Amino acid sequence: MSGATILANPSASGGQVAAVPAPPANRPRRDYVGIGLWISLAISALIWALPFVFMFLTSVKTNADVNTAPTWHLPSVWQWVNYADAVETGDLWVTGANSLVVAIIKVPIGLLLAAAAAYALARLRFRFSKLVLAVLVAGSMVPIQVGLGPLFTTMLSLDLLDTKLGLMLPYLAFGVPYQIFMLYGFFRAIPDELEESARLDGASTFRIFWQICLPLAKPALAALFILDFVATWNEYAIAATLLQSQDNWTVPLAVLSFSGQRATEYGPLNAFIIMSAVPVLIVYLLFQRYFVAGAFSGAVKG
Amino acid sequence: MTAVHHPPAQQAPPRRRSDRRLLQALPYLLPAVVLYLGFLVYPMVDAVRLSFFEWTGFRNDEPVFVGLDNYVRTFTNDPVFYRALTNSVIWVVLSLLIPMLLGLLLALALNRRMVGRNLFRSVFYIPAVFASITVAAMWRWIYNPNVGSLNQLLEAVGLASLQQEWLGNPQIALYSVFVASVWQGVGFSLVLFLAGLQQVPAELVDAARVDGANRWQVFKAVTVPALRPTTAVVTILTIINSLKVYDLVVGMTGGGPAQSTQVLALWSYQQSITNHDFGQGGAVATVLLVVSLCLVVPYLVRTLKAEEH
Repeated sequence: MSGATILANPSASGGQVAAVPAPPANRPRRDYVGIGLWISLAISALIWALPFVFMFLTSVKTNADVNTAPTWHLPSVWQWVNYADAVETGDLWVTGANSLVVAIIKVPIGLLLAAAAAYALARLRFRFSKLVLAVLVAGSMVPIQVGLGPLFTTMLSLDLLDTKLGLMLPYLAFGVPYQIFMLYGFFRAIPDELEESARLDGASTFRIFWQICLPLAKPALAALFILDFVATWNEYAIAATLLQSQDNWTVPLAVLSFSGQRATEYGPLNAFIIMSAVPVLIVYLLFQRYFVAGAFSGAVKG
Repeated sequence: MTAVHHPPAQQAPPRRRSDRRLLQALPYLLPAVVLYLGFLVYPMVDAVRLSFFEWTGFRNDEPVFVGLDNYVRTFTNDPVFYRALTNSVIWVVLSLLIPMLLGLLLALALNRRMVGRNLFRSVFYIPAVFASITVAAMWRWIYNPNVGSLNQLLEAVGLASLQQEWLGNPQIALYSVFVASVWQGVGFSLVLFLAGLQQVPAELVDAARVDGANRWQVFKAVTVPALRPTTAVVTILTIINSLKVYDLVVGMTGGGPAQSTQVLALWSYQQSITNHDFGQGGAVATVLLVVSLCLVVPYLVRTLKAEEH
């Protein structure tokens, strides 16, 4: 921290790196670079937030308001009923429940399978374990769309088309490999001595997995849980291919159908778009701490 | 073989011990591997297989082997394929230039302490947690030629001459969709670069400063080299995500107008499912698969080799 006080000249305190905190407000010399930076950030942030503002204002307007006044005007009548309308016409309770069921079943199962596999690859290292890891991860990085057509015919022949199980199986297949990759690094970092001493105490392989490795990976598991919940809630391509009847739709399918068919009911349309994102927003706000710290610090290490 | 690099606790196990380890590992590994083979690898391999057949996709219809016909047709007689290929390349290049650079700049700025830093971070990141299909619906509304916010804004600031059919004009529709993707995607590279900046050794920065290096010199000599692994990760993920672009295009234009926003991932799907031509769809999918693997495999080999040391 002493660095900041030694390097009091403005050019140095305007540096890009974390070690130099912004000068305290009562300092006589003003940090013009810092102020300029802050103003440009504020303007960019404002631009970035505009679409949300437009969405919200439109979501509480009547069609007459939308057609006669610019988007950024406040509504003449606050039309909150748009939200109720949108829930009803978009069948949000049904699609929301579908999405929730899929996410709540799929995400924990997927994490458990990924943790088990990552444990096997990282701690029970057998011949070719690295090759297995590489093949798993390579496949998960290929665009899903490569296999969409055949996935459809596969589910058709398994009679799993248009079912939740039929949706969750490919979700697991596409989600798990990346999680294995992240957890692999985590499990590798556990000191061998910890495992050795547990083994000397007579702990089985399963106990070492369940009682030593899994608890140690909690931060990574929390971050992966959020990432996977958001990804599952938002998934569109597979769901659109495999789900056919409206009763089985997940939320993204409802959004597309709503914005396609009811594009002239501007208020309810925007209300629907906003409501469809509420769960992921809640998850993000609750867990953003873990999210940034846990998920990504592992990803960028050389 | 790998055991050579291990700490003394696991000294070079003979092959038999390694085989026992495999047996021990199987129950942990099997569920994930079975799912992976059944619902990821199999459909992809099947797409490659079907690229040598002619098939409508209907159950009571038999696929007919046609050799390389689908590839010949795709490469010589399918203007949409070339449109899609060009658009995918444009998308990759633009994504490497714009959102990645923007993410780096924002990360450098937001890495300093300042009032409202967390709010700024959230504003730039939140679009990334939205479903792409939702983002598509939002921007379709913004681009609406009659009552959309963009045209209204242009009129309000006296630039009515710039008003456009943003998604209806084949000349610019692709770039309109891309703008939405920048809005959504910046947060992704921002977060990765922020995490990478935590790895920049603060002592080195201070030392360079004390030695009289100016900000640009510190950036070039300390920050950039320390960010190299992060940049590699962001680059490969940006390329891969660009090849995967699908939801945004489906939600905003469906590939139109006049196929002007068609991309490889969408064209493969439309050929198979919409046009009932699994052979042609498979051929496009195979091209996409090969391109992706050519990018992913070298990256993975490098990462796993580096991890060894």
